[in-house]
Formats: sequence, C-alpha cells, structure tokens
Amino acid sequence: MLTLLKDLRRLRRDLALPRPDRGRSLAVRHVDCGSCNGCEHELILASSPYADLQRFGIGIVASPRHADVLLVTGPVTTRMRSPLLTAYAAMPEPRRVVALGDCAVGTDILGSPDEIVGPADAVLPVDLRIAGCPPTPDTIAAALLELIDRR
Amino acid sequence: MNGYRELIAEALESGWSFAGLYSVGPSGPVRVALAGGTGDIRLETVEPAGGALQSIVDLVPAADWDEREAHDLYGVRFEGHEPLRPLVRHDLDPAAWTVPVLGRDPYQVAVGPIHAGVIESGHFRFHLVGEKILHLDARLFYKHRGLERAAERSTLTDAARFLARACAACAVTNGVAYAQAVEESLGLRPSPELARARTILLELERVWSHLNDLSAVCAGTGLAAGAQRFAGLTERARRLNGRLTGHRFLFGAVAVGRSDLRLDAEAISFAREELAGLRAESLSGWRELVFNRSFDDRLVDVGIVRAKDARRLGATGPAARAAGVAVDVRATSPRLAYDGFAPVTSTRASGDVKSRLEQRQLELVQSVDLLESLLSRPLDASTAETGGAESAMAASRVESPRGATLCAVERDGDRLTRVHLRTGSYANWPVVAFAAVGNMLPDFPLINKSFELCYACADR
Repeated sequence: MLTLLKDLRRLRRDLALPRPDRGRSLAVRHVDCGSCNGCEHELILASSPYADLQRFGIGIVASPRHADVLLVTGPVTTRMRSPLLTAYAAMPEPRRVVALGDCAVGTDILGSPDEIVGPADAVLPVDLRIAGCPPTPDTIAAALLELIDRR
Repeated sequence: MNGYRELIAEALESGWSFAGLYSVGPSGPVRVALAGGTGDIRLETVEPAGGALQSIVDLVPAADWDEREAHDLYGVRFEGHEPLRPLVRHDLDPAAWTVPVLGRDPYQVAVGPIHAGVIESGHFRFHLVGEKILHLDARLFYKHRGLERAAERSTLTDAARFLARACAACAVTNGVAYAQAVEESLGLRPSPELARARTILLELERVWSHLNDLSAVCAGTGLAAGAQRFAGLTERARRLNGRLTGHRFLFGAVAVGRSDLRLDAEAISFAREELAGLRAESLSGWRELVFNRSFDDRLVDVGIVRAKDARRLGATGPAARAAGVAVDVRATSPRLAYDGFAPVTSTRASGDVKSRLEQRQLELVQSVDLLESLLSRPLDASTAETGGAESAMAASRVESPRGATLCAVERDGDRLTRVHLRTGSYANWPVVAFAAVGNMLPDFPLINKSFELCYACADR
C-alpha cells in the first residue's frame, strides 16, 4: 500500500500538473446511450493521475439528482431513449447536456435506422459537443473546463 | 430436421466444441459453428421445418443465448427450449425476462439500465433473500444498434468498420476475426509479416485491457490507490498505442487483405522500452496488492465458477482459465504469429475473483513477453497471399482479452450477405449471472468487474 501511494506521489510530481485557478465545481452524470465503450474508457481515464479531473472540482456523481451536467455517449438507441429522458427529468436546474464523442455529436453514426433515434440532440437540447472517436481524456478535461467558464 | 441433434451430439462426443449459432435470414436456415481441437471451424447448416428447429440447449447449455437471439431477430422457434425467453427484443414486458422466484421471503432489486459509475447500460434483476443472491436475470441489449444488419448492405472491405465499431475494447479482435473470415472465404492466406502485424495489435489490445481490468477490480473493492496506480498504467499503454498506430484504441489498424502498419527502428525501440517499463511497474503494483490482506479478503471464495460449470456454460478466456480450463484460441491460430504458444493458468485456478485477477496478471506478463519477441525487428506494410479454395461462407475465431470471439461471414461475390459476431463477452455473460448466485449483493460489482465484460459487442 505504501509503495502504491509512493509511486502515485512520484507520478504526480513527475507530471507536474498545473494547479487549478478556479474555485468552482461541476457534478457530472454519465449516460451511455449505445456507445462502443470507447468514450467510457476514456472518460474513466479523465480521472486517472494523468488528467486528474478532480483537481478542478469536476467529479462523476452516481445520481442525476446530484448532477449539473448530463454527459451523453453513443448514438441514442431506441431502447435508451426513455432511460435518457428519465435521467434528464431527474436533474435539478440549471442543467447542461454534453454530447461526448462523434456518435453523440452525430458526425458518424453506424447501425440500423430502425434501432437508432439519432445523436443526443435528437432527444435533448445539447449545450456542448465534444468531438472525437473517442475524445482523449485531455480533450474531455479541457472541454468540461470550458463549460465551467461558460456557466 | 432429422439427425440435427444427433449430428451435434456426435460432434461434441468426438471433441468438437460449440462456437456459435445464428440464423441466416427470417426463419432460417440456421448455422451452427463448431470448433475443433486444432483450430479448425465447421459451419453446419440446418433448415428449420415450418420455422421450427429442435433445441440443442440441453446438449449445449452455452447455446441458450444464441437460440434466444435467433428467435428474437429471425423468428426461428426452438422446440424443447422451454421457456424460450426473449433476449434482444425489448418490446415485451420485463416480466418475460424474469424467472419467477416464489416464496414469502424473496424480493427483487432492479439495477440499471443506467449504472452509478461510468459503466455501459444494461439491466440486472436480482432475486434476493436478505443480502444473498438467489438468482440474477440479466436484461441487456439496451445498446443493440443492429450493426450486423447494417453491415450486411455493404462490400466486404467496407463492412470492416461496422465490426471494428461494435466495441472499442475488442476493436482489434473483432476486426481480425472479420478479416480472417473474409480472407478464408476469398482463398487468401496472410503473409508472415501480416500475421505478425495483427498479432502485435492483438497483444497491444490485451495489454491495455488487462491493465484496465486490474484497475477495475481494485475499484470494485474500494482500493483507490490500486485503482489509480493501474489506471495510470492503462493511460500509458493507450498512449503507446497512439504513438505506434495513431489511435489509442488501435482503430483503423486492421483491414481486410492487408496491413498498412509500419514500425521503424525508432518506434520499435520506443515500444520495447515502454513495455519494459509497464512490466516493471505493473509487477511492483501487483506485489503491493498480493500482500494487502484487507484487499485479499474481499477476493477469496467470491463468485466461484468451477471448471465443470465453466465447461458446461461455455465460459471462455481468462474467466475459464481461472477455473482451470486451459483453453486459449491463440494456441491454435495458424493465421497469426503465435508459434509455440501455450496458455498460462494460475496455480490457484479455483474460479473465484482472486483467481480471475491472478489470471489477468499472468496473462499481462505473458503478453508483454510475446510483444518483446514480436517487436524484435521493424515492421513493414504487408498483404495477404493467394493460397486456398474460395467459399461462399467462412468463420474465424480469435482470442480477445475476454475470450474466444467467433466471426462468421457469408458473401455473394464482393457483397456481404450475412455477418455474425459472437464475442467472448457474449459467451461469458450467462457465466456472470451464474457466478453471482449464492453471493452477497454488495459483492456483485466486484464479481462483475472480475469478468469485466463489454456490453457493446454483446449487444452489437
């Protein structure tokens, strides 16, 4: 355990990530609406020591009731449309919707037309689009910081 | 059809194993893929009579999902598969999925489709007494995008992108399985350089995937230091992928009939150095996990799948090997550069969460060793060579980080008429539901993480 912590401290020192100059925060709820799992894997690593989103006060929360931002990945499948709307309805206002990745943005959707509703903005008003297939952890981090500034 | 069940029973008797079942079109015909001990694959065709076929699920419990899918998507009925519950179709009441659990004490806990963490979407219905899981119904396919049907309109070359996008975590595996099946059907063989390129990509995928899984199990026990340590190593492995191929998940690196991947001396030496670093640091992290008693306490005798059940249910990949079933498609892959490969199994091999974790660690080191020898010299672009008979359909199996993945293709000239992808995750999902039984509900996330299956390539 001590070695693990020591290694992490060393990694942190070597990376020398800049300290945040912001005093605000963002609570994010992620909803997978039919992705290939790439956006999820990169979103998880946005919290790894290399991007360390938490240092800016940005965290993933378990419930939409605690969230400022709904982060949507994947093209919205017909089966995920209703769960997505339920999650959105559960959020307190003000709330923002972010489309994460090319599928959610709508630039490159693959699948049978009868199984797919469309990009995130076919279901919800989208405030921010993060392009990429999938966007890297650094891109995700930078885009969410921009959203904080916009608020 | 007469003789179908006898054919399957006879094949199983003589050492063939079930590798998948799919319907070609509405009400059939149905194809059953059988894998032999030396890597050969048979596709048996059976014509349903009046849209109905005798079920083989009593002979092969692993065919349960396949038959349900063929019924849902193509209307084939399976006589003797009772009740034939829905799998892919979501227009039926959730009660249709649920096994009735009767009595005064049992109650249900519904989880998903949206989960609390950054996890893919799927629904789990737990039947409990107190905190103990009596039964688990998994209702997945929330992410069903109809990718097979969408791909079936395109040319053989163009369809590759549908297969690659089925799943980011298995993009290379699915891509290689598809490319090999198409090449087999076109009478092409990979050149040694093409085989080496694909093997490098497959092992790079396994390295990041296993590092991610080690992190996920730590997260599943609440050991943040371990989860972050291995997440950091996962990031490094993905950066290595990006440096070598231009994409962190190796998207676009697999094509039908050729490989454009070039690795010069500089890239090779960077990769070898980085892999050596990943090996040293993951071993150092692993030693810390091994000697952490409170971590270890969470893993032992949880989510047990014995060898007998692993075989019966068709478990595959690290999940099967962790139960002592030393089967690995890499040992019988003449189209790839795995000469002399032998699967590793942990000395523990008791099929619990700890065994599955140990299995990942052993395979991670094995993959790094393989890569060191594969990356001993620069890699050049390459193409497949002619050297076999053409056929209208063919299938191929590739070992993904989660187990054996089958891809079957059928074509009419240059056009894809049917493609079917049965991934390691698809095979293992029923095993997760089995492993959960008898455990405490709060241990389910950990059991689930110890398999770390994809929803995306199961749902397609």
